[in-house]
Amino acid sequence: MITKKRTPWLFMAPSMLLLLGLVVYPLYFAWKNAFYYWNLTTSPKPLQFIGLENFKNVFKLTPFKASFVNTIALSFSGIFIEFFIGFTIALILSRDYLKTRLFRAIIILPTTIAPVVVGFLFLYLYFPNGGAFDWLLKIIKFPVPAEGLLGSSKTALPSIVFADIWQWTPFFAIVLYAAIISVPIDLLEASEVDGASFFQQIRNIYIPVIKPVASVIVMLQFMRLFNTFDLVYVLTKGGPQTSTRTLSYSLYVEGLNNYNIGLASAFTIVMITIVNVIIGIYVFIFLRKREW
Amino acid sequence: MVLLQTGEESAMKSKNRNVRAVAASVAFSLIGATSLGISNASLAIAADCSTIKLATVGDPYEYSLKEVLPDFTAQTGIKVVEENLSYDALQARLSAAFVSKAPDFDVTTTDAMWIGQYYDNGWIDSLNTYAKASAKDPELNLKDFLPSVLHSISTWRGNLVGLPVAPYAQGVMYRDDVFKKLGIAAPPTTSGDSWSWDKYVATAQKINGKVVNGKKMFGTVIVGQQPVPIVHMYTQLAASKGAMWFKQFPTGTWDFTPTMNSAANQSAAKAYVSLYKAAPKESINYNWFAAGMRFAKGDIGMMYWWSPYFYLVQNNDYMSGKPSSIVGNYKIAALPKEPGVAQTTSIGGWQLTLPSTSACKDNAWKLIKWAASSATQKKMALVTKYGTQFSDFGRKSNLEDPALVKIYPYLPQLEKMLASGNGKNVRPPMPLYPALEGVYGLQLNKILGGADIKKTLADTNSIFSNLLGGNFYMPYKGKSYDDTFANTTALIDSLSQ
Amino acid sequence: MVMVRDRRKFKITKISLYFSLTLITAIFLLPIIMTMLLAFRPTDTNFILPPHLFFKPTLDAARNTILNWGQNGHQILSSLIISTMASFLNLPISFLAAYGLSRYKFKAKNQIMMWYLSLLMAPSVVFVIPYFVLFSKLHIRGSFISLIIVLQTITVPFSIWLMKSFLDEIPVELEEAAKIDGANLFQLIYKITLPLCAPGVIVTSMFSFVFAWNNVTFPLTLSNSGTSTIPIGTLGYFTTSGANWNNIGMTAASAIIPPMFIFLILDRFVVRGLTFGAIKG
Repeated sequence: MITKKRTPWLFMAPSMLLLLGLVVYPLYFAWKNAFYYWNLTTSPKPLQFIGLENFKNVFKLTPFKASFVNTIALSFSGIFIEFFIGFTIALILSRDYLKTRLFRAIIILPTTIAPVVVGFLFLYLYFPNGGAFDWLLKIIKFPVPAEGLLGSSKTALPSIVFADIWQWTPFFAIVLYAAIISVPIDLLEASEVDGASFFQQIRNIYIPVIKPVASVIVMLQFMRLFNTFDLVYVLTKGGPQTSTRTLSYSLYVEGLNNYNIGLASAFTIVMITIVNVIIGIYVFIFLRKREW
Repeated sequence: MVLLQTGEESAMKSKNRNVRAVAASVAFSLIGATSLGISNASLAIAADCSTIKLATVGDPYEYSLKEVLPDFTAQTGIKVVEENLSYDALQARLSAAFVSKAPDFDVTTTDAMWIGQYYDNGWIDSLNTYAKASAKDPELNLKDFLPSVLHSISTWRGNLVGLPVAPYAQGVMYRDDVFKKLGIAAPPTTSGDSWSWDKYVATAQKINGKVVNGKKMFGTVIVGQQPVPIVHMYTQLAASKGAMWFKQFPTGTWDFTPTMNSAANQSAAKAYVSLYKAAPKESINYNWFAAGMRFAKGDIGMMYWWSPYFYLVQNNDYMSGKPSSIVGNYKIAALPKEPGVAQTTSIGGWQLTLPSTSACKDNAWKLIKWAASSATQKKMALVTKYGTQFSDFGRKSNLEDPALVKIYPYLPQLEKMLASGNGKNVRPPMPLYPALEGVYGLQLNKILGGADIKKTLADTNSIFSNLLGGNFYMPYKGKSYDDTFANTTALIDSLSQ
Repeated sequence: MVMVRDRRKFKITKISLYFSLTLITAIFLLPIIMTMLLAFRPTDTNFILPPHLFFKPTLDAARNTILNWGQNGHQILSSLIISTMASFLNLPISFLAAYGLSRYKFKAKNQIMMWYLSLLMAPSVVFVIPYFVLFSKLHIRGSFISLIIVLQTITVPFSIWLMKSFLDEIPVELEEAAKIDGANLFQLIYKITLPLCAPGVIVTSMFSFVFAWNNVTFPLTLSNSGTSTIPIGTLGYFTTSGANWNNIGMTAASAIIPPMFIFLILDRFVVRGLTFGAIKG
């Protein structure tokens, strides 16, 4: 490690300038236009200064509350289930008396697919009275609503979460597997000699080992879930009513369906604030002592 | 420790590296140049206007128009590149192109309610000068159109803004075999006070749940999908009951104060909920096609809907070409009426318009005129690739053509429906309509889901007020146009000199 | 390792675990296979239950979609152009930044790394609206170059993290030795570091290719009919009048295969790639 003063900044200058440019512009745009009334379909320029009206309208006119609740529900439930199932699969994969190379290569495939395409996959499987998944659920006597899984406000959001779980649980499985196999075999053998049960092993050996890895991927995946847009766009377009609206989707509707740029800018600021708060809290709790 | 290499090895390695580096840079420069160069359509469109671009929507007319388009090229030498989009894709695409002032199409298909927005924002051109220049052209023959059709969908602020290529009215389809089996009187073929909305709802409720010929029947089916489709079906019911969107539009001096929570609208919402209760549960998510084609599946007693479904339900699925189980067992009837309220039939459907950004307007006009002409419309009706697949006429010459009446026997009824319609009262095409429609659809869907009617309609009203106020439509200080039937007739006359 | 207390119990455990793994793998594989099958199914077998695995395959969907240049054929080329350029254009920039972060120690390093990472966690929609307006004004909306530039918000932070993790593996001693031999910084990087981390550069570019390929938010709003990508092409067959499932299956398959193929090749680096290099795997 060379410790110098100016050189590192020279190296990072091109990327920082490029990214700052690309990132600062949207922020500047949002701050500039959030205080004006501007609808692209009626005028190519912002119209009149309306102060905090747009911000008020974010909460009054858009389904912000529903979007926020849905987004939180989706993110937390997705993360928990994906982590839990992924960890279980990782534990199985890591048994050294099993040959798991082929399984691992195939399991990761869902994460390679574009989320939009995953949406279509599930649109096909959820198709009322024709889709394989709809059919399977009916066989096990699961109460499938008459409007279809995506057509009822009770099952639409869970169906979207399920699609996300299908796609990203393998990610957790493979990454946690990589962490688990780094546990030295002697450590495990020693713990067995000491009479440790499997669950005790999990608590005292595996969990501490995967903590550094887990803290990174949980943050990454939580934010990915929080920003869910593609799946909603394909599967339900925010419906039925607003039961599957997410924050990203609502922002898209305001800005690029209704072309209400002023309102969308205010929404952007609110959303970025929330995202920054979440990331900030997370980094502070879990990652502040981390050296990259 | 420095990696040591023999002189020869390193020379070979660096030669290979150089070759690879050169190959890589050439490849990437090519790709880079391509990406810089290609800034628009990769489909090469001629810089002159020998080829023009047409945007169509996947409604029935497109299936027929597609088949007869080669005749246009044979007749004029102009090639047409057609791009077919779904309803929301078309609207999104057109809005995006217009908003960014990027030339996209030369002829666009426009829905009846978008013309206010499109024209007032300068996105489409007035066709007045073109029409006047072609006044003696038999292909145009404006007077052949039913004035109510042109009034409802193709005129704005004293301008002809499009030529109808597939206008629609709304009417009732009912299963006369089911009605006979259950001993229900057949609905009349002309609107009258005895065929009221209350009677319509009661009839649907009577049929609902009964088993006919071994099949469990639903009374009716509705369109419930938000944000857009539900508005198109609901507003027919609402307008027929006398509910209006605004205080004063489209006639007189415009006042866009919303009247969403009027007594008439509340009554309409109640009726719509009752109809939903007599319909399949999944219809809360049905769009135009899903609802219409459900009737063809055979378990619906009756429904009111756009006139293309009069022929579409002959097929077992949208444009499938295979006959449905109800062929010969359904009839067309008049729309129910609210006693004491003048009947308003919804007129909608599609027309071809001329984007202001087109570089080939003369050729575009030729296509618009040809596609909407009596001869082409007849050719479209005679296409039988999918069975009966087009009868959405707006011209008297087509509606009264004996050869066409033979294939589509309900044409005289359809003509009456169209002649008495006023689309502008049902779905006012003012510039903010698309934004308002989205809000309205969401609220109506909520009502179907059980929300309190009075409160939801009151909320709709305040959201409307917000939107209208913020866009300077309330109070309206812009120019109004007294859009009366008489003024439209005068316009048609002046363009036909 | 499990202590072999009972040989038979051990065998049963093994068999049941293999069974579970097979079931799990099937769950993750079957939907993909079903969609690929859609691409070649005759339309009336689309929704027959139980799903038919055997049918007479037809090339109709292929002919209507990817074999038709005007329909989806050009979209595959667009995807190729955009993904390739997006992933390669960022390499020099990202490499420099990764080098600086890997080789130097300075106060704000952690913050900077987290800042790059936070860009990856930002909602893409936030970028899309301002750029829609800007590019429309500049009349470059829909051009390849505009899409490639905007995609840098994703590829650059990702490449920096990933390449840094590769650079961290190259011992600094090698460079220091070269320095002692009199090489300046540029020669050092060009002759020593770059060749050694060439695999890392290739892996990084392949992963960013996949992320650019799979991205939908930007092309959805910022491309036009000539520059739209193949994942967008899938959307076109889901219309209000019903979906053409076979066409969806075919375009979806075309969108799936290249990234899947790349992941299979890069099997060794999958963990590292998916975690942006944060975890070595």
